[in-house]
Amino acid sequence: MRTSERARRTSSAVVLYVIILVAFQVFLITVAVEAFQTDTESLAWATAAVSVVLFAGAAAFLRYLRP
Amino acid sequence: MTEPHPPVAVPVAPPWKRDFPYQSLSEEEVTRREFARYLVLGAGTIAVANVGIAVWTQLRTINTGEPRALVPLADVAVGEPHLFRYPEDDDPAILVRLSPTEVVAFSQKCTHLGCVVYYEPDEDRWHCPCHEGNFEVRSGDVISGPPTRPLGRIDLEVRDDGMIWALGRPT
Repeated sequence: MRTSERARRTSSAVVLYVIILVAFQVFLITVAVEAFQTDTESLAWATAAVSVVLFAGAAAFLRYLRP
Repeated sequence: MTEPHPPVAVPVAPPWKRDFPYQSLSEEEVTRREFARYLVLGAGTIAVANVGIAVWTQLRTINTGEPRALVPLADVAVGEPHLFRYPEDDDPAILVRLSPTEVVAFSQKCTHLGCVVYYEPDEDRWHCPCHEGNFEVRSGDVISGPPTRPLGRIDLEVRDDGMIWALGRPT
């Protein structure tokens, strides 16, 4: 019973974290578009790197989600 | 003889369901894991898009495409700017004849935040009115203001037919 409650809370937390990461990804794409418009290659690559790391993090969080 | 079927309880639809009677077989079957998976899929799509934008930004150069005739040299007075579009129809560019034999052209997009720059003949510089950025008229280098990178210079050539040509991608 206790374990089930803990697992449910963990699932909720994971979903919340993933939502936050996706929201941050949406922000990053606006940064990338601005970097494109101003021809700032360094900013565009930095944004892409952070975005990939966030995606990897979000994918890793799926492991903690109960089936 | 077949036995009569037992009565089946028909669920009563809520009022909003009667107003919007759209049905989906799986509308109540999205689990938390599936929802999280969709989110991660979206995050992956955005990550791929960000990498694509970075590659596009890296590969994009103002001197692209085939050589193109812009305007007859005789039609541009000394000290007067000429506006045109280059390399695409969405890219504003500006050309100025500095002397009878010297012509320079740049992308009109400020390298700070993409505002349009103008030629200031009195100061002999390119000026961005949005945030007071100034660029050197011949090289496009930053003189003052928030921009950190020079304007995109368009390679030009005045050919024997008197036309000013954009040279396009260097071969």
